[in-house]
Amino acid sequence: MSGNRIPLGPFHPLLEEAEFFEIKVDGETVVDIDMEIGWMHRGHEYISEMSSFTQSIYLVERICGICSTSHPLACVHAVEDIDNIEIPIRARYIRTLVGELERIHSHLLWLGLAGHFIGYDTVWMWAWKYREPVLQIIEAISGNRNHYGIMRVGGVSKDVDPSNIPKLLEILDTVDKKMDMFAKVVNDDPVLKKRLVGVGVLTKQDAIDYCAVGPTSRASGVRGDVRKDDPSDAYDLVDFNEIVLQNGDVYDKLVLRVLETKESIKICRQCFESLKTAKGSIINNVKEISPGEGIGRYEAPRGEVFHYMRSDGTNRPIRHKVRAPSYVNIPTYKASCIGVSISDALITLAAVDPCYCCTERSLTITDINQRSNSLDILKLSKEKTEKIRREINGK
Amino acid sequence: MGWKNKQLSKSLWVFHVSGSPCNNCDIEILDLLTPKYDVERLGIKLVGSVRHADVMLVTGVINRKIAPKIKKLYSQAPKPIFVVSIGTCTPSASVFKQSYNRVDNPEDVIPIDMYVPGCPPKPEAMIEAVAKLIGVLNE
Amino acid sequence: MSKLEKFIEEMGDKITRKIDKKRRFYFNVKNENLREVSEYLFNNIGCRLSTATGMEMTYGIEILYHFSDDDTGQYYCPRVVIKDKKNPEVNSIVTIVQGAEWIEREIFDFWGVIFTDHPRMEKLLTLNHPEKLDKPMRMKEE
Repeated sequence: MSGNRIPLGPFHPLLEEAEFFEIKVDGETVVDIDMEIGWMHRGHEYISEMSSFTQSIYLVERICGICSTSHPLACVHAVEDIDNIEIPIRARYIRTLVGELERIHSHLLWLGLAGHFIGYDTVWMWAWKYREPVLQIIEAISGNRNHYGIMRVGGVSKDVDPSNIPKLLEILDTVDKKMDMFAKVVNDDPVLKKRLVGVGVLTKQDAIDYCAVGPTSRASGVRGDVRKDDPSDAYDLVDFNEIVLQNGDVYDKLVLRVLETKESIKICRQCFESLKTAKGSIINNVKEISPGEGIGRYEAPRGEVFHYMRSDGTNRPIRHKVRAPSYVNIPTYKASCIGVSISDALITLAAVDPCYCCTERSLTITDINQRSNSLDILKLSKEKTEKIRREINGK
Repeated sequence: MGWKNKQLSKSLWVFHVSGSPCNNCDIEILDLLTPKYDVERLGIKLVGSVRHADVMLVTGVINRKIAPKIKKLYSQAPKPIFVVSIGTCTPSASVFKQSYNRVDNPEDVIPIDMYVPGCPPKPEAMIEAVAKLIGVLNE
Repeated sequence: MSKLEKFIEEMGDKITRKIDKKRRFYFNVKNENLREVSEYLFNNIGCRLSTATGMEMTYGIEILYHFSDDDTGQYYCPRVVIKDKKNPEVNSIVTIVQGAEWIEREIFDFWGVIFTDHPRMEKLLTLNHPEKLDKPMRMKEE
């Protein structure tokens, strides 16, 4: 029976790439996994090298819809690193605020989809319902729900109206309450624990070897958070904790994201408070960029976003390199997926948060001989949860 | 065909294909299903296989590697099927105009019946598009 | 003595053209010394390989590695210059850093640089591309 291949994909949009997974199973156990990417390659770096520094910001925003602050932020950090451009204090707070709001909505999105994958559709609906207020705040600040377009080299382009802040803080409070509820659910639910504890473990050594970043590595006990290590914007002015958990399984990744959301709400509150009083302009006018090279990075919801910019003194970069966090996190599947049962494979793949709004909508492609498709995997996953639930309730 | 189309309008089942998007339109589509917008009240359901679908949603600029797969998918779909493109990327390529890896004309890959522009389109715009589609089917 | 100063002292004349900026340290390294430098950075300092950037310049192809030290926020960027644009070859560091596998495959795909001793030297993004591509995707010159 060994060597049964289960295709998953190719639709799996992740920044520039979507992958095609080929899972080899022996009975119920995953023995090997192979990935093919490039389905989403649009040539961002190439286009960016033909556009000006300001145009690049809009372009990199469209790498990923969920990280649409992280990429522009890392990009402007890279340009600012070339010339050591100072940023006004008010702009620093606004950048941090939008970045953290994005983290909250991204983690809620993950929480919802993870719930969906293990058969908790209620969690999906609830998490996405409480994601809406966060989008509302973002819309009030930037004018758009998803692509904000407010980052500029030297500052930001839109200011937060101080008279709006009390109202926005109120909306944030409702999200905070609901996060407490989610934290309680995660702690209390025996089914969730039984389903996720010990599943898809990424060991500390593997996390280091594969150079994993963000929640993926922090759940495995490897510390590393760009906000702490290389603080930019207002991160050295606000108080927050870096959360590191030890086990590296899916449950820890879930807990870590819930706790991180709480920290983000804390940062947002501090930013709002500071914005009430901070005075001054929101942008430093930058006339030209001198020749040189710069590295910018930012802690996106999924880990470190890396941008490298090289300028020759003209208004265009001669090289712009982008590295998204999922790019280094996805190869860790080779370490975490092997040995898990096929019904756990989906949640293990999802645990990295590879922007997988389409994982479960992946296509049944090509080979007629292969009976299994990804929908079966989703069904298997849900059935397992149901089985555990029945066992626990029966006791 | 008119009678058949009228039957379809009662409950449109939607299948979602991503060309090579930035994920944003895809998330807004999923957003439509969740409590705030909840399009299931209009009989719309997202299905997992194109063989069950009445409407195909295409997002993103279509990449040259993915194009044959999308073509194949369209050929697998039961006809009549209506193709709605979500977002500015599919018709005009948006910021990816200079890309070396996109198809020149998305209509060569898949015939598109309806465009919903926007980056990303607001969920309200998408609901309006659906309402218009139902209106056309009922004619 | 900081980690950076110790690193410069240990490496001696293996690293040249040093540029030291705030939290960023760029330097040139020869192809034959690349593995030794990476091993020191990865195992002794405890760096994480962020990524590597390939660049086509007039004088050849440049590969710039980015090693990040997460405790201090310091970036170490070894730069390898390959003069031969026709048949570019570099030593692979996959044996030292497992995470370099995809990064090196991507550079092979974009610029046609062959990494010697890489366990699986095939294209990353244009693998099984439906159209025939006769040159590396990003190379401007033939």
